[in-house]
Amino acid sequence: MLRNYFKIAWRNLFRNKLYSTINIGGLALGLAACMLIMLYVAHEYSFDRFHKNANRIFTVYSKTVMGADTMQMLNFSYASAPIVEKNDGAITASMRVKKEYKPVIIQNPEKVKAKFVESSLLYADANFFQFFSFKLLKGNSKTVLNQPFFMVISEDIALKYFGNADPIGKTLQVKNDSTYLFRVSGVMKNNPSNTSIRADFVVSLSSLKSMPEAEPFMESESFQGGAFLTFFTLKNQNDVAHVQHTMQTLGKKVDKDSKDRYLLTALPDMHLKFDDSANIKYIQIFPLVAILILLLALVNYMSLSTARATLRAKEIGVRKVNGASRKSVAFQFYVESSLYAVLSFGFACLLCVLFQSRFFNLLQLNIDASFVYSPAFIISIALLLLFTILIAGLYPSIVMSSFKPVEMMSGKKSSNGSGVWVRKTFTVLQFAIAVALIVCGLIIDRQLHHLRHTETGVNRENVLVVPVQKTMGISGNALRKDLQDLHGIISTAMAHYPLYKGYDMFFIQGKAKNENISLPILSVDEHFISTLGIKWRKAPIDKFVISQPKKVVINEAAVNKLNIQGDPIGKTIDFGRDEYAIAGVVKNFNFQSLNAKIDALVMFVAPDTTNTWGIEGNSGASMFIRVNPKTNLPVLISQIKNTYEKYDKDTPFEFQFVDDAFNAMFKAEDRLAGIFSLFIILTVLIAGMGLFGLAAFTAQQRTKEIGIRKVLGATVTQITTLLSSDFLRLVLIAFFIASPIAWYVMNQWLNDFTYRIEISWWIFALAGIIAVLIALLTVSFQAIKAALANPVKSLRTE
Amino acid sequence: MLLQLNKIFKWVNVGGSRTFLLRDINLTVQQGEFISIMGPSGSGKSTLLHIIGMLDDADEGEYVFADQNVFKLKEKQRSQLYKQHIGFVFQAYHLIDELTVYENIETPLIYQDMKGSERKAVVADILDRFGIVGKKDLFPSQLSGGQQQLVGIARALASNPKVILADEPTGNLNSKQGEEIMELFKKLNKEDGVTIIQVTHSEKNASYGSRTIHLLDGRVDQIVNS
Repeated sequence: MLRNYFKIAWRNLFRNKLYSTINIGGLALGLAACMLIMLYVAHEYSFDRFHKNANRIFTVYSKTVMGADTMQMLNFSYASAPIVEKNDGAITASMRVKKEYKPVIIQNPEKVKAKFVESSLLYADANFFQFFSFKLLKGNSKTVLNQPFFMVISEDIALKYFGNADPIGKTLQVKNDSTYLFRVSGVMKNNPSNTSIRADFVVSLSSLKSMPEAEPFMESESFQGGAFLTFFTLKNQNDVAHVQHTMQTLGKKVDKDSKDRYLLTALPDMHLKFDDSANIKYIQIFPLVAILILLLALVNYMSLSTARATLRAKEIGVRKVNGASRKSVAFQFYVESSLYAVLSFGFACLLCVLFQSRFFNLLQLNIDASFVYSPAFIISIALLLLFTILIAGLYPSIVMSSFKPVEMMSGKKSSNGSGVWVRKTFTVLQFAIAVALIVCGLIIDRQLHHLRHTETGVNRENVLVVPVQKTMGISGNALRKDLQDLHGIISTAMAHYPLYKGYDMFFIQGKAKNENISLPILSVDEHFISTLGIKWRKAPIDKFVISQPKKVVINEAAVNKLNIQGDPIGKTIDFGRDEYAIAGVVKNFNFQSLNAKIDALVMFVAPDTTNTWGIEGNSGASMFIRVNPKTNLPVLISQIKNTYEKYDKDTPFEFQFVDDAFNAMFKAEDRLAGIFSLFIILTVLIAGMGLFGLAAFTAQQRTKEIGIRKVLGATVTQITTLLSSDFLRLVLIAFFIASPIAWYVMNQWLNDFTYRIEISWWIFALAGIIAVLIALLTVSFQAIKAALANPVKSLRTE
Repeated sequence: MLLQLNKIFKWVNVGGSRTFLLRDINLTVQQGEFISIMGPSGSGKSTLLHIIGMLDDADEGEYVFADQNVFKLKEKQRSQLYKQHIGFVFQAYHLIDELTVYENIETPLIYQDMKGSERKAVVADILDRFGIVGKKDLFPSQLSGGQQQLVGIARALASNPKVILADEPTGNLNSKQGEEIMELFKKLNKEDGVTIIQVTHSEKNASYGSRTIHLLDGRVDQIVNS
């Protein structure tokens, strides 16, 4: 019996190639999108779960009150972990790790060429490989890090520095402020893609004790904030409250007035909570979108299959007359749907494999192949298949099995009214989803455009930022002088931080008692303001004044925040130790991400004779170079590079355009826009396919009517209009359903932005026009075909 | 007695007024009879055939088939009864286009849950009997009308029914093909003892039967024994 059903399903598949393509293709597209999203979401949720004790490992963090703000701090002092462990019996093990913040230069002393800048070096307690479940390929997990200057490297790194030779026992030279020799004591597997603790080099934490540059981190002997990520393994996952209480008590011991709160979060939650907060938004939105797309594809499938049901009415009638029960007919259509679903599923898998890397590039994600083949993911994919089969077969089998054989034999076509109604609803639903997504996509695109082109008060174009590290020593200024002589460079400036990537924070005493005012601080040189094209609100009397000692430049927001009345020039700000006089006021400009309103800003301006830029700042400094847009950029950049390398032979030359740095801040929104355009294409494609199939079917069903109308004198245009207008009405209804929903959702989304657009009516109009055009295109093709058919033929066949 | 209809009424309500399709039909059919039903269009021939074939219900009356009261049976029992004892032949053949001749004949056997090997034997036997072994792998569209109807009858006979109900079986055929089909019916009736009830427009075809029932406006107008 089953064979008979498969046979007929298979023959039907080839008999109606158009329907089969639309049916299977549409479903495959939807499934592929769904699978990719599932992969992404499952991967995000799998973070750090591979550790054996994942449910008992917790990360310590604090909610620290600073002025009016509360900040989350993940780093604790060197002494913190042992202190808490000693004071709480529920803790079975503790772990401190410290990431090297700035890139270090690592070299294999035996190979001159094996010298690279590395940015993922991690200092970790000796029990790192017992505490976590990173796999060691070589070395003993108990001893690999138990001595200072021991180092575990990943497979890739071993290959990079030692080729195929055994690295164990060999040394690597790490150039921080001084140069240190580390002995390779183990090789670990490369980090899986779903870990929030990443390192290519894991070195013993005890090394820090003999490194002078680490001294500031090691001083504190109490439980408080610091530089080390701290983890605990608890006896039982219910001991969280107990340990939090212990930490709270310890915190009060250090500062009894502190309002800080000390908390634990489970290791697997760390990724979404702290690591990549942009992702958490997607994690919530994407499953919804995946369900929508799958629904769209399934609805498409169901509506097309049932539309075709009328063509199968005869077969069903014959089967029933020959003794088929309703159950067996339903079963037959289930078998058929299953076959189609499995085929679609196969194509979807193929599509996934083909588009996987592109999709993940779009999301800027990296997912291990091993994760794709993990049992958990395969099971969830299998569930998706099962769900698809179940749903795809449900409606067609119910509808088809209800056909009455007598109606079939008396020549009445079984296009029952409810079927038509259901199909119309399906079409409206599909187009509503499509219209909503188009509206969302347009708004995201406009918002991004708005962010990019917002007036930020800084002339970002043609400005390069070159990081200057400590290895530059005191040559920073000499370098600047040399660069200044290059043709094509208009001006240069120095600052401690690249734009948008950081500033210092000062708290000054406000007028009221106990009032702390937070003031962001930028340390810049006297050319900074002119090089970046920042405008003056109140220019200094003489431009040299600003770089004199005890003078500062502030922005308009600072004037308001500090509540300075009258002419601010000459007024002083009390920074505790010293008072600084305001030398000038600049117009507001965005110095941090556009997520925040422009805060008050104080700029300490150094004269251009200062040559200690690289040394002063902990993470080096930045040089801003304004170039002439008409110069040959590649040539100029290579000239800059040569000049740079004259003064700093250790740290490789790097640069970024301020414009790019600015655009990089919209990574999250960029991803969203990219994904949305993909979703839009998909939904439009699926909805279009569905409509095309439905139109073809309707035209076929109305062949006789069209024939009669033509005989009675209808023109091709009239018939095309007749056939198309029905569908257009549905699309219009879809438009009116989708618009308010899309408006509401996008308004919520826009509310998260400090700089946002207002949603204008033309976005809806455009989305509506796009939907109508798509509908017209798909429908009119069929309609014209039907209208052109010879009526004599169509009437004779009836 | 094979089947008996007592005081059968069937009607539809059109715009508030009741239109009778069948009025007070009484009919007894014995095993091995060959009955023709005649009458003008709309006289209720097909409706009567559908009721006999259990594809349709009457609004009033009683229908006894093989000593069982059909209208009082549960769906499942009725379907059982009908699967075993009734074969249908249509004017438009109603073969399944996507299935081969062999598979079309096999279909009713599948629904009787017959085992695969047994089905094979039965279908082979029928193909042989009808002389269409050579056409078993062809699809309906590759056959002439007469051949299609032959397959239709073969299919109706596959489940070895007691009665074959034929709705204008020769209506779509030319006279020669029609004659062959009628001869086949006659042979089945005579040699195999299959009861045949056919609806027909043609006096000539009706003459193959032992009894002709003339319907007019849903009533039995006249019964002619030949």
